[in-house]
Amino acid sequence: MIQETTFAYNPGEHEREKASNSYLMSLVALIAGLPLPIINLLATFFFFLANRKGTYFVRWHCTQSLFSQLALLGINSASFWWTVSIIFTEEKVSNQYFAYIFTVILFNLLEIFSTIYAAVQVRKGKHVQFLFFGNLTNLICRK
Amino acid sequence: MIQKTFLQALLIVSAFFLIWFGLSQVDFMKLFKVKERTTTMEQKLGDMIWNQIEDTEDIVYNDSITKSLDKLLKPLCDANDIEQDSLKVHIIIKDQINAFALPNNHLVVYTGLIEDCKRQEALQGVLGHEIAHIEKNHVMKKLSKEIGYSVLLTAAGGSKGGEMAREILKTLSSSAYDRSLEKEADISSVKYMMEAGINPKPMADFMYQMAQDSNIDKAMYWIADHPESEERAKYILEYIKGKKIKNKQTLSEKDWKTFQEKVGNQD
Repeated sequence: MIQETTFAYNPGEHEREKASNSYLMSLVALIAGLPLPIINLLATFFFFLANRKGTYFVRWHCTQSLFSQLALLGINSASFWWTVSIIFTEEKVSNQYFAYIFTVILFNLLEIFSTIYAAVQVRKGKHVQFLFFGNLTNLICRK
Repeated sequence: MIQKTFLQALLIVSAFFLIWFGLSQVDFMKLFKVKERTTTMEQKLGDMIWNQIEDTEDIVYNDSITKSLDKLLKPLCDANDIEQDSLKVHIIIKDQINAFALPNNHLVVYTGLIEDCKRQEALQGVLGHEIAHIEKNHVMKKLSKEIGYSVLLTAAGGSKGGEMAREILKTLSSSAYDRSLEKEADISSVKYMMEAGINPKPMADFMYQMAQDSNIDKAMYWIADHPESEERAKYILEYIKGKKIKNKQTLSEKDWKTFQEKVGNQD
């Protein structure tokens, strides 16, 4: 799921801090924005915009953080609107609904733990790549 | 690299759906006692609203009147496997032409409606319509849609009970259900009547009579809030067209008149 590799260069103290902050930022926004999933994406996106002209290490981790948030946006939004439809329309709770909510909770927890891990490791200057999102970032983020 | 990324995306998506599918096999509805909780909420709400009505309205407790109403309900229930004892039927002394269903199988009829029905079959049709709302769980559907489950849960929990009871009562007694639910209740009522050998035509006539009454009062909720009553009469007649209609009268003409007089004397 999470792979630690060596980066193209040894990032400086300032870079490590900024890159690590991108994960912390997304973590705080994720928890704050859980009822309305769009908030965490917006927060991470603005952080990404602010750092898009930063060094390669900072840009790379901001991008990975943004992509992993983007994936959660879809599944969290679906659970949000499903719940709204149960409260306000004739839609009823079902085993499928509960199963979906628990799957979403599981994926959110996975995201929270991997984000904390990434924030800690990146702060130490280690390069952390998530499954799929790391590769995607490699494809998009240019030196 | 692109292929590897694509495969990893596929892996994540598949994992998501596999976990979802796997968890769907667990019977969460039973585990969380969803049905029992909903039933308890419905019982609490129904009794809370009924207590509110008992405190503020004049109720008919006259045995001969309630027995006659029970007699009118009996054939509808017997012929359609509806447990009559599960229905809590109440008559309120009010000249409004109204009847409505409350949660927990409470069925409320105003004396005004009973007096205004020219024939007993029309009253049975209205009762059948309200029974259908109860049987098909329309009452809770309407409440959850218009008031919201979270508010209902709070009300059933006890806090602000009186205020909420008034609000829920207002919702259920003075506004119509969705058009589709009304039609479902009308047709179900017609089916109940036909099954019991009762002629549903007077029910349609009652709707026509109300729709064409130019002096229709705002207080005549049962019809005033149903602007399509003429259309409803039409689809009822359309539904029974060509079908074999029996004409069993539950009460004798004399008993029906006596019943109406007794109800009238309550005012």
